[in-house]
Amino acid sequence: MSTPSESDELSASRLGTSIRTALSNLVDRPTEENNLAGFLFVIPNVVAFTMFLLGPIVYAFVLSFQEWNLFLGTGELYWTEIYGVRLPVGNYADILQPWPWANDWASLSSPSYSLWWFAVRNTVLYTAVVVPVQIVGGFLVALALDSRIRGKKVYRAAYFLPVMLSAAASGVIWRWVLSENGVINEFLRPLGLAYGWANSPDTALGALMLIGLWGGIGFNMILYLAGLQNIPDELYEAARIDGANGLQRIRHVTWPNLRNTHFFVTVLAIIGTFQVFGIALAFAEGGPARATTTIVVLIYETAFVQSSFGRATAMAFLLFAVVFVFSYFRYRLEQQEEVSY
Amino acid sequence: MPKSNYEYPGYERSGIRYWSKTTLLYGSVTLGALLWSLPFWWMVSTALSADPTAGGVSLLPQSVTLANFEELFATQPVGRWFLNTILFAGTVTAFNLVFDSLAGYALAKIEFVGREKLFLLFVATIMVPAMVTLIPVYILLSNLGWVNTYQGLIAPMIANPLGIFLLRQHFKNLPSALGDAAKIDGCNEFQTFYRVYLPLAKPALATLGIYTFVTTWKNFEWPLIIASDRSMYTLPVALFTVRNQYFTEWGLVMAAAAVIVLPVIAVFLSAQRYFIRGMTLSGMKG
Repeated sequence: MSTPSESDELSASRLGTSIRTALSNLVDRPTEENNLAGFLFVIPNVVAFTMFLLGPIVYAFVLSFQEWNLFLGTGELYWTEIYGVRLPVGNYADILQPWPWANDWASLSSPSYSLWWFAVRNTVLYTAVVVPVQIVGGFLVALALDSRIRGKKVYRAAYFLPVMLSAAASGVIWRWVLSENGVINEFLRPLGLAYGWANSPDTALGALMLIGLWGGIGFNMILYLAGLQNIPDELYEAARIDGANGLQRIRHVTWPNLRNTHFFVTVLAIIGTFQVFGIALAFAEGGPARATTTIVVLIYETAFVQSSFGRATAMAFLLFAVVFVFSYFRYRLEQQEEVSY
Repeated sequence: MPKSNYEYPGYERSGIRYWSKTTLLYGSVTLGALLWSLPFWWMVSTALSADPTAGGVSLLPQSVTLANFEELFATQPVGRWFLNTILFAGTVTAFNLVFDSLAGYALAKIEFVGREKLFLLFVATIMVPAMVTLIPVYILLSNLGWVNTYQGLIAPMIANPLGIFLLRQHFKNLPSALGDAAKIDGCNEFQTFYRVYLPLAKPALATLGIYTFVTTWKNFEWPLIIASDRSMYTLPVALFTVRNQYFTEWGLVMAAAAVIVLPVIAVFLSAQRYFIRGMTLSGMKG
């Protein structure tokens, strides 16, 4: 026999359980009602997604195997023979012709598929220079502006403002800054270094890199400033007590503790630079002599100047393959961050 | 705010070491900031010059004049471009705020069948380069007859997985007990969302709103492709074509650049905090 108090406790806990069950039924379970509500809430986005992202991705895949012309308006599979097998991969085969070692790069002009490797070369060079400099630069600026310095806000705004600009504006402004009569040459002329930076095939890609750095460092600075906020003061205190000087503290405390930020910044920077387009087009329209024809500039031209939609989409998928590798790591990183919330 | 390297007891704020360090620090960031602002400065200076290439280059306009702006506004439909851009950025922002807050809420707070899979699908599309979808979307819209129309300009921009992601994170961090209480008081799902959670999401909505507005305002690729008529251009596309039209008249081109850049700077300076937060949260490339 249980005492009255025990039975009270029992029923109280039972009551608690049933309330909890009722509550969780009310709000948590995938009930019919919840399914309907959830469906109604996401339907606008699902429609927009299907029409403008998912559908187009699937269609793009089909398109990349077709010979497509805007004016003919029809798409037919583009067959080609590879080792005696007939496959509808004509676009990819055209694009991925052997690396044209023997060709003179500069003389590559008309058919856009032979320009593919040239565009890849330009894009890889651009990425290889811009990404490391932009990351180290962003880190150093963030470090300087995280310290005890007056007028932080003004400095941060100065470095960040270019991030806000349309690629069209950046490209056009820099075209003027770097032109024969431009302000850069005004500084260089006394040194005898004045030059048509934007008009020469030898320097145009370098000039484009400069624009990329100008626009990119502020963005990385912000990410690094956010990262710096997360390093506990105690670590600096401890390092100082251990006798580390300023440089050593940066080397052994700041830098290693920004591991996540480094990774995030690097992956983002690579994805961004691989898709560089607007500044290249606005700066020099892919020229002079194709020196600033990057992958996306070539895709744009192939699609909207030559109306070869199939070939352009195949190029876009090849770009996607590269970006996917980096994006995958980025996605994994986001998942990790989500767990730590 | 964490203490910086310079902020600990016993740090001497005098002596040759301190002053050389401080000078180096201020010197380098100031030099950098001046270099970074140089293109802006020169843009304004050129736009205000009567003849920018005459009599050598100078950082200051020789004679300040508004002639370039007057000619630009007289010969080009700048007002129309401005309205187009505001309409484009404003409508896209409004759609994104409504759609993404609904979806973000559902994906965070309503347990419905297939929720996680749907979210995964949304997030997975973030990594697809714009150029992959631009071409099929262009074909779709040209079949609908939407090329060179406002609906064609706006519609593809309202599907934005990033906004859903951002708002879902925010709603997820708000306690579920609030919703439970609202439901016991008789609120339905929409009322719970609209009356309880949405007001609490104001900071996140402001962040997403400003971020979307600015990225749409400066979007170059999509309007370049979809707007074929001059009267449908947005400012970035217009600038590109003005430059091609007035090839060597840099005063005019820089006046056009100033017209498009200065509003962005104004928006940035007034809403810097939200914009930077949006950038940091989303990790999007500018």
